[in-house]
Amino acid sequence: MGILLSFLGGLSFGLLGTALKAAERRKADAAGLVVSAYAWPALLMLVRTLLLKPGGHIPTKVFAIAVIFGVCAAVASLAFQVSIGFGKVTVGWLMMNLSAGVPAAVSVWVYREELTVMKVVALGLVLVSIVFLSWGQVIERRAAGRNPEGGA
Amino acid sequence: MWFLLMLVILLTNGMSSFGLKMIAAWGLPETVKYPYLTVWYASGLAAIALPMLWKGMRLGKIEVVWGALAGALSIGGQVAMAVALNRGVPGHVVFPIAIGGSIFVVALAGRLMFGERLSAPTAIGLALGFIAVILVGVS
Repeated sequence: MGILLSFLGGLSFGLLGTALKAAERRKADAAGLVVSAYAWPALLMLVRTLLLKPGGHIPTKVFAIAVIFGVCAAVASLAFQVSIGFGKVTVGWLMMNLSAGVPAAVSVWVYREELTVMKVVALGLVLVSIVFLSWGQVIERRAAGRNPEGGA
Repeated sequence: MWFLLMLVILLTNGMSSFGLKMIAAWGLPETVKYPYLTVWYASGLAAIALPMLWKGMRLGKIEVVWGALAGALSIGGQVAMAVALNRGVPGHVVFPIAIGGSIFVVALAGRLMFGERLSAPTAIGLALGFIAVILVGVS
C-alpha cells in the first residue's frame, strides 16, 4: 500500500506539471496561475495551523526563513511557468527536480553531512545532465531558427 | 533567457525546501511545520500577487480554475507521500519513486499531448537527470 501511495504521489506531481503546461497552452497568465496555485494551499495550511492545540505559535527565526524560502519557491514556480511558454515542459520539470541537488550540496557544507560516494555521483550526474540539457537547448534553438514552424 | 530561467529555477526551487531541514536541525517540534508552511505559501503568494495588484492585473477564470487544479495536485502528491512515509515506507524508497514517477509522467505527456521532440543531447540529459534525481533521493 505504501509503495502504491508513492506511485500515486509521482502520478499526482506528474499531472501537476502536465496541468501547468496545459494551462500555458490555454494562454493562462503565468503570474496569475502561480497566485491561484499558492492561494489554495495557503488557505489549507492556515486552517490546519488554526486547528493546532497551542494555537500555532511561530518563532521569529522560523517566520523569517518561511518568508525567504516561500518567496524563493514562488519565484521558481513563476520562472518555470514562463519557461514552458517557449521551452519544453519535460526539460523545465526535470530542472525543477534536479534543483534537489542544491540543498543536498548545501547540507554537506552547512551541516557537515557525510559526502558519500553515492552523493558525489548524484551531484556529478546533476551537473553533467545540466550540460547536456543546455547543449540540447542550443541545438534545438538553432534548428528552430532554420525551421520556425518546427519544434515544440 | 532560457538559461537565466533555468538558473533561477535551480537555485530558488532548490533552496525553497531547505527551511524544513533547518527546522529539523534546530530541534523544533514537528507541529511548527504547519505555521511554517502557512507563512511559506502566504509569502510566495504575496511576492507574486502584490506586483500584479500594483500593475492593476486581475485573475481570470482560467487562472483560478487551473491554479486550483495545480494546487490540488500538489497537495495530493504531498499527502500521498506523507501517508506512505507514515506507513513505514523508507524515504529512500518513497522520494525516488515519487520524483522519478513525476518526471516520467511529464516526459510522456510532453511527447504525447504537447508533441515535444527531444534532440539527442536533451534526451541524454533527461536520462542522466532522471538517474541523478533518483540518486539524490536515495542518498
